[in-house]
Amino acid sequence: MATNIDLSVDFCGLRFNNPFLLSSSPVSNSAEMVERAFQAGWSGVVFKTLNSDRLPITHPSPRMHYVNYGGRPAMAYQNVEQISDRPLRHNLLEFLYLKKHYPAYPIVASIMGFFEDEWVYLAKACEDNGVDMLELNFSCPHMCIEGSGHKVGQAFHLLERFTAAVKRAVSIPVMAKMTPNITDMTEPALYAKKGGADAISAINTVRGISEIGREDWVPRPNVFGVGAISGTSGPAVKPIGLNFIASMAKCRELDLPLSGMGGIETWVDALEYLLVGATTLQVTSGIMHYGYRIVEDLVEGLSDYMASKGIGRVSELIGRALPHLQETDHFDLSRQGIVQYNLDRCIGCGQCHVVCSDAAGQAVEWDPRKRRPRLIEDKCLSCMLCQAVCPVPGLIAYREMPSGWKRRETAVKDESHEPELKHESFTKEGPHECVA
Amino acid sequence: MNPAKYFKSMRTGLDLPQAIAEADRCLLCHDAPCSKGCPADTRPAEFIRKLRFRNVTGAIRTIKENNILGGACGELCPTHRLCEKACSARFTSLARPEGADRPVPIGRIQRFLVEHSWQIGFKPLQRSIARSEPIAVVGAGPAGLSCAAELAKNGYPVTVFESRPEPGGVLRYGVVSYRFSLDFLRNELKDIEDLGVEFKCNHPIEGPAEAERLLKNGFRAVFLAPGLWAAEALAPQAPPINGVHSSVDYLSALRDGRFRETADRIAGKTVAVIGGGSVAMDCVESAAKLGAGDVYLIYRRSYAQMPAEPDERIEAQEAGVHFLLLNQPIDYVIGRGRRLKGLKLVRTCLGAPDASGRRSPKPVKGSEWVLACDVAIEAIGNRPAPDSPNWYPRVKLAGNNLIQANPRTGRTSVRGIFAGGDIVRGPALVVQAVADGKAAARAIRRYLHG
Repeated sequence: MATNIDLSVDFCGLRFNNPFLLSSSPVSNSAEMVERAFQAGWSGVVFKTLNSDRLPITHPSPRMHYVNYGGRPAMAYQNVEQISDRPLRHNLLEFLYLKKHYPAYPIVASIMGFFEDEWVYLAKACEDNGVDMLELNFSCPHMCIEGSGHKVGQAFHLLERFTAAVKRAVSIPVMAKMTPNITDMTEPALYAKKGGADAISAINTVRGISEIGREDWVPRPNVFGVGAISGTSGPAVKPIGLNFIASMAKCRELDLPLSGMGGIETWVDALEYLLVGATTLQVTSGIMHYGYRIVEDLVEGLSDYMASKGIGRVSELIGRALPHLQETDHFDLSRQGIVQYNLDRCIGCGQCHVVCSDAAGQAVEWDPRKRRPRLIEDKCLSCMLCQAVCPVPGLIAYREMPSGWKRRETAVKDESHEPELKHESFTKEGPHECVA
Repeated sequence: MNPAKYFKSMRTGLDLPQAIAEADRCLLCHDAPCSKGCPADTRPAEFIRKLRFRNVTGAIRTIKENNILGGACGELCPTHRLCEKACSARFTSLARPEGADRPVPIGRIQRFLVEHSWQIGFKPLQRSIARSEPIAVVGAGPAGLSCAAELAKNGYPVTVFESRPEPGGVLRYGVVSYRFSLDFLRNELKDIEDLGVEFKCNHPIEGPAEAERLLKNGFRAVFLAPGLWAAEALAPQAPPINGVHSSVDYLSALRDGRFRETADRIAGKTVAVIGGGSVAMDCVESAAKLGAGDVYLIYRRSYAQMPAEPDERIEAQEAGVHFLLLNQPIDYVIGRGRRLKGLKLVRTCLGAPDASGRRSPKPVKGSEWVLACDVAIEAIGNRPAPDSPNWYPRVKLAGNNLIQANPRTGRTSVRGIFAGGDIVRGPALVVQAVADGKAAARAIRRYLHG
C-alpha cells in the first residue's frame, strides 16, 4: 500500500483515521461487533439508533429482502429493521467499553426521540457516557408515527426544534441525518443548521418496494401476509445519494461538513462521494453483503489512487467534482461528436445494431456476411447506448467532430401526406422559463 | 459401488438460478450464430433470451415447439461443435473473466428448461383441430418421434410402429444409463404421448412389402425411420464366437433387462473394444464402470483421427481405459468351445489421407501380436437390417441398403412414403434425426394438402 498518504479526516473537530465509518444499522448493533470493525480498519462508528426504552421495540420477522439483478445477488437491500431493540443502559455500557479500549476511534451515537424532552434525555445520556458526537435520526423511512423518523425529516420546523433542543443540552457536535424521500434536501438541511446542527449526514434509505410475491402478491419482506413500503439501500441507490450530497455541498448558504452514504462498496464509490463534497463516509449495505473486511480495500484502493494522483491528503479531494457540476443550461451545444468504433476487437454480437435501430438514430448498419457493424456517421446521435451494451470495453469511444459538422435530420417516413397536414407555426413571444 | 446403482444416476443438470446466471452471460447477438448452428432449429438465441427476461415458460415453449426431443438433445448433443461453437460470449474473456473462454452452456440450459417443464407441470404444446388423415410412422427412434409429434401437433392421427418393447430407439436401447436415464426418456416420451400419438410396440413392420402395404391399409402417408440396428462385423461370415459381441447388442443388453448378466460377464474380465467413435467410447467407459479388470480401446488410427467427441475421449481415459492406438485387429484367437482367448493385432503407421480426409493406417509388416482378452466388443459401425429392402421393395435405395430420400423433404421414390434419420443419412446425431422428422412432417402436410 502507498505510504505517505494520510487518509485521516477532521470532521467537526474530531479526528478520524480514515473517512470510513459504520453507519447506524445492524452492522453497528453492539460493542462486540464494533470492536471487530475497528480491528478490521473502520475509523469510527455511528452506533445503531438509541431510544429511551419508553416504547418497546420489536423487530418484524423477517426483517429484510433484496433485489437481484440477473444472476447477481442484491443490487439493493430492503429492510423493515427498527431502531435498537436493546435497553438504553446496555447500549450506554457498550459506549463505555469502546471508549476505554478504543479511545482513538470516535463514537457517534444515533438517537431518535418523539418529543423534545426525550431527544434531550438521550443526547445527555450519550454525552455523559463518553460519546464523541451525536447523529439525530430524522430519517428512518418506515416509522409510521407522526413526529418520528422520516416524518420529522419532512416536517422542517420539528426538525429545527429538536436539533436546537439537543444543541442546547450538550456540548458535543451534532449531526442531522436526512431522508432522501423528499424533493430538495437543502431545505431541511438549512432548518437543521438553523437549529444549530454542526454537520449533515445523508442519505438514509430510500422508500421503496423490493419485490412482490408472484404467488401471494405480498410485497417483500413478507411479514406474515403483510409487506410495507420501507427502506431500500445498496448499490442501486448510489446515484440518489450522490445527488443529495452534491446538492448540499453546492449550497453556499448551508456550508456544513457532510457525511455521505448510500451504496458505497468500493473505493471508487467512496472517491465519488468525496469528490461531490462528503468528508466522512458511512457504510452498511456493503458490510451486510461482504462483511467488515471490505474496509481493507476501501483504504488500500483510495490510498493507491491518491498516490497515483500525487494527492497526499483526503481533504484535497473533497468537493473537487463540484466546479464541473452545473445545470444543463451550461452545456456548450455548439460542440458535437459521434461514436468511433475500433472494429479490430469486435466480436460480432450486433447489440450495437439492435440498440441503435430501436432506441437511437438507426446509424449502425449490420453486415450479415462479415457479422460486423457499419457506422453511418452523420446519423449518429452520440447517445452512447452502443457503448453501454458493447461487451468489449474500449471498442466504442466518443469523438468530437469539427465545428460546423451537421447531423442528418431524422427522415420523414412518407411526405406524401403533406396535403392532409394540419399545422401552423407557434408565433407568440414568451419568456424562457415557466410562468404561472 | 454397486454398478447397477451407478448406472441409474445421470449427471445432474443446472437448477433455475444457475440457468439464469448462465443466460445472463448471453450477449443476445443480433444474428445469433448459436441458432444457425442447430440442425433441428431449436432456436437457442430465442430460448436463452426468453430465460434472460424471466419468460421461463416461453423459453420452454420455444424449445419444445421446435425440438420435441429438446431435453435429450440438450444432454446428448455435441454442442461444442454445433450451437456453442460460434457463441460470441466465449470471445469476451478479456473483458468478462466470469465467461473466460467459455461459451454459454446452451445444451445444459436447454436440458434444464425441459426438465423444469416436467417439474412445474408446464405443457407448452397443444394439438390443433383434429384432422382425418391417419399417418403411419415406422420406428420410434428420434426421427420417427419427431415426425410423429410434429404431425400430431397439427391434428393428424399418428400411429408409430415399433419392433422393440418400448419406444425411444437409440435413446432407449443404444445409450448408457449414466449418460441418459430411462426416467428422463419416459418424461420426454410422455410429452409426445400427450399429443395423442399412438404407439404400437412389439409391432415390427418387417414382412415382405409390409411398410408399403400401410398405404393400402388406411394410412395416407408413411414415414420410414427404422434406424440402423445391424452391426458391422470384423468377420461377418464366421460362426459366432463365445465372448465376441457387437456394440449394438452390448449396449442394448445394458438397457433391456439383461443388465445383470452383462455386468457379470464383464466384471473382473479383460475387455477389448474395437473402434474409435462415440459408440466405442460408451462401450469402454461402461465396461470400466461395470468393473472390468482391464479395458482396451483398439483403434487403427491415432488419437487425433478418432471420430469420438473430445470430451468422450477424455472421460474414457479418466475411467481408466487403455487406448491402444495404431493397432489394427486382424483375427480372433479362439480356444476350446469357441471361447475367445485373444485378439490378434498388427501395429500400423499413418499414411496419406484417405477418402474421409483422415490419414489412413498402414500395417507394419511383422508386427503382429496377440492381446489376451476375455471379451471383445465390436464398435465399428451400424448398418440397416439385411432384409430391410424387402420391407419396402419399391422404395429406391442408395448404397449400403440406405434409403434414397430428398434431404430437405424426406420424399422417397414412392408417392406417400417418406424416410429420414439414420436409414437415410447413415449414422448421425439425434438432433439430425429430429430435423429429418420435422422436415418430413412438413412435407407430408404439403403432400396431403397440395
